[in-house]
Amino acid sequence: MSLLRPLLVRSLTMVGVFFVVLLMLVLTLGLTGFSDRILSATIGEQLRAERTALAETIRDPDEMEKVLEKRREELEIFYGLSTPWYYRLPRTALRVLTLDLGEARTLRSFDGSNRVFDIVTERVPNSMLLLTTSLIITATIGIIAGAYLATRQGSWLDRFVSGFAAVSFAVPTWWIGILLILILSIQLRILPSGGMYSTPPPTQPLPRFFDLVAHALLPVITLVLVSFGPSIYSIRTITLNIAQEDHVKIARAKGLPESRVRLRHILRVAAPPIVTGLMFGLAGSLSGSILVETVFNWQGMGRLYYDALAGTPDENVIVALTFIFTLMYVVIRIVLEALYVFLDPRVRYTD
Amino acid sequence: MNMASAFRELLRSGPGFGGASLMALLLTAALYVLLAFPLDFGESQWSNPVIWVDNPKAVPPAWTNPLRQDARPLHRVFEGAEPQTVQTARSGPVHSWRFPFTYASSHPPTFLAVTLADVNYAERPPLVLISLKRPDGKQLRIYRHTVRGPREDENGPFLRYAETPLRVQLSTDEATVTAAQNFLAEEFDLRLDGGQIGGRVDRILFGVPAGSADDAFAPLTGDYEIIIQAALREEGDSVGKVRFVVGGGVFGLMGTDSLGRDLARGLLFGLPVALFIGVIAALMSTAIGTSLGIASGYLGGRADIAIQRFSDIVANVPVLPLLIFMLFIIGPSLWMIIVILVAFGWSGLTIQVRSMVLHMRANQLIEAIQSLGASRRRVMFRHILPQITPYVLAQLIFAAPSAILAEAGLSFLGLGDPSIPTWGQILETGFRTGGIYVGYWWWIVPPGLCIVLTALTFMLLALGIEPIVNPRLRQPAS
Repeated sequence: MSLLRPLLVRSLTMVGVFFVVLLMLVLTLGLTGFSDRILSATIGEQLRAERTALAETIRDPDEMEKVLEKRREELEIFYGLSTPWYYRLPRTALRVLTLDLGEARTLRSFDGSNRVFDIVTERVPNSMLLLTTSLIITATIGIIAGAYLATRQGSWLDRFVSGFAAVSFAVPTWWIGILLILILSIQLRILPSGGMYSTPPPTQPLPRFFDLVAHALLPVITLVLVSFGPSIYSIRTITLNIAQEDHVKIARAKGLPESRVRLRHILRVAAPPIVTGLMFGLAGSLSGSILVETVFNWQGMGRLYYDALAGTPDENVIVALTFIFTLMYVVIRIVLEALYVFLDPRVRYTD
Repeated sequence: MNMASAFRELLRSGPGFGGASLMALLLTAALYVLLAFPLDFGESQWSNPVIWVDNPKAVPPAWTNPLRQDARPLHRVFEGAEPQTVQTARSGPVHSWRFPFTYASSHPPTFLAVTLADVNYAERPPLVLISLKRPDGKQLRIYRHTVRGPREDENGPFLRYAETPLRVQLSTDEATVTAAQNFLAEEFDLRLDGGQIGGRVDRILFGVPAGSADDAFAPLTGDYEIIIQAALREEGDSVGKVRFVVGGGVFGLMGTDSLGRDLARGLLFGLPVALFIGVIAALMSTAIGTSLGIASGYLGGRADIAIQRFSDIVANVPVLPLLIFMLFIIGPSLWMIIVILVAFGWSGLTIQVRSMVLHMRANQLIEAIQSLGASRRRVMFRHILPQITPYVLAQLIFAAPSAILAEAGLSFLGLGDPSIPTWGQILETGFRTGGIYVGYWWWIVPPGLCIVLTALTFMLLALGIEPIVNPRLRQPAS
């Protein structure tokens, strides 16, 4: 049980995050009158469609107006426009919680469905592919180089990396993506500038896979390029702090081989804070990936934002995307929190 | 430590010196922009196509010319108000302007355009003639225009082209095409139809027929002269302003975008905007974060728990999706962006300030002051706040770049404030209109560099200040 309690506290925070976001969505939609406008537009559209159908049976224009007015009232009750938004929207939010996301206006899924659920869910794996690949590469580089740098404290390489990490915070990820496109795909023509597959996509599984890798290379490089500096720097600092602790000195004094000291006595202890660092990095990479996907026309959730915003905006998609995005973030965070709790022996005894 | 010595120490450290000098540079430039640009630059100039009509579209900066093997033509604008020569012909006075120039590029001009404004006449409308004198001694009339005559119920004197000047793009003007056609037929005995000439007028006027192919032209470099003549009917008639543009293949310091907008001006105006966003957002979120942190740490109890839970939640909200959503619903405005950034940007500081205040509360000095009967508010604002101010100041500077980057990212998604041009928006237009795929680097690279430079300036300053304000608090930036 001792493991469960801290996990529960942390998960509750994330659930809180989720509800705060949901509350913001409901408040923004309601207070600005946006939701009402959308519903009246939907009703108006439906009435127009019914008018043409009714025109075949009803000749008298006055009677027609009366019938339509009655129908409008029915529709307003049906869609809930007759009740104020603060009663209607929470119910909508509950409906959304069950992943009933409604229908898109213009956007379609790859196989032509207009259900927002279909449109969004088919993008999730694409986003995850980009995100997890770059996160794993960043973490690997960070752990290897960070642990190495901790033994070279104060060297020129160490100073260079901390400078590089500081610069990374000042660089917009998506702009690096644009630069890479400009240099590697437009000038040198080495890598494709966007999309996930060539047109037409290869049909054989193996060429198809390599095609995907070629297209994923630039976005992944972009995401890694801006995040590996800070990752190395933070892991170096964590390792450095632990390396100065007493238990490490004792391990060395016992005459344990250096590799064993590093692995068992430093990195094992450093694991929890490294995971925490990854957790905070996650929010950044998620936001970064929205823009990077846009730049590389990567058919993930981020690009979907751009597509839903451009031209005639698709409100349902934007609402659902924000919701799913937060949901995804919260779920990953809870998984990482669980990992953290299991990794850190100290958590079991405190709190 | 007093301000002066802290500042000296800041300048001694590498990042501190770099950050301070860059900041001085940026502030000077921003001040210049505030003085030289109208505050409504975005609406009155940047999104007003009339201003940019005489600029070449999507051309690189002028300084790229020496780097090329064959230099592109420079952009030339000739303007005249008072006539240079006044002669009297039988029909009346003839005002003329002559604009000589040397054409050295092997590329033709990107376009030729003429603008007339403020034409005054008493009875009969004047006639405007434009000729081109070429290095090979040949001269041809490329444009001829009779100013619009009086309407039936109109009485003189007449003023024409006052509010909207007459602008003619000669490169695509039918009369000029015909003039080029006749010129080729008479001088070179080369007969081309309108279709063969259309779109290549500039090449013909600034070249000679070359080789076997009928429609091949070699560039003709040397001294050209534009001659504009206004044949007036009476003394006192006048043409107020003439303007002749030989469109260049390069432009200004930073080139132009696809609407002909001078990117140097857009980039310059983006500077004070970016600084403003960074500073205001950082100030507001730091103020909220600090006061909640002090309250949480000092008051303790339920207030502490409530503030800590709440800031924990706010700190973990994925901001960008929410920002996109809210801006989309509420409508893009710079203030909205700042308000939302602040609303989700204060929490990290609250958590840190609280832990510092907790340390301080255990301090004997604070205890002594409390026992002397100081009010809680007095303790918080007079005794705790001053102690954490230096640290808060460093955090304030750290917070500025993230606001600048966030605004740039939102602008890049098309959610920027349309009335205020920012670097992110310039990048967005370059990206959305496909400028990136045709290699318009001067449209894509400089705005990003500006963002990086500004953000870096704040980062360097913060890095320089941090060890000064509190060496113990040096921690990995995250």
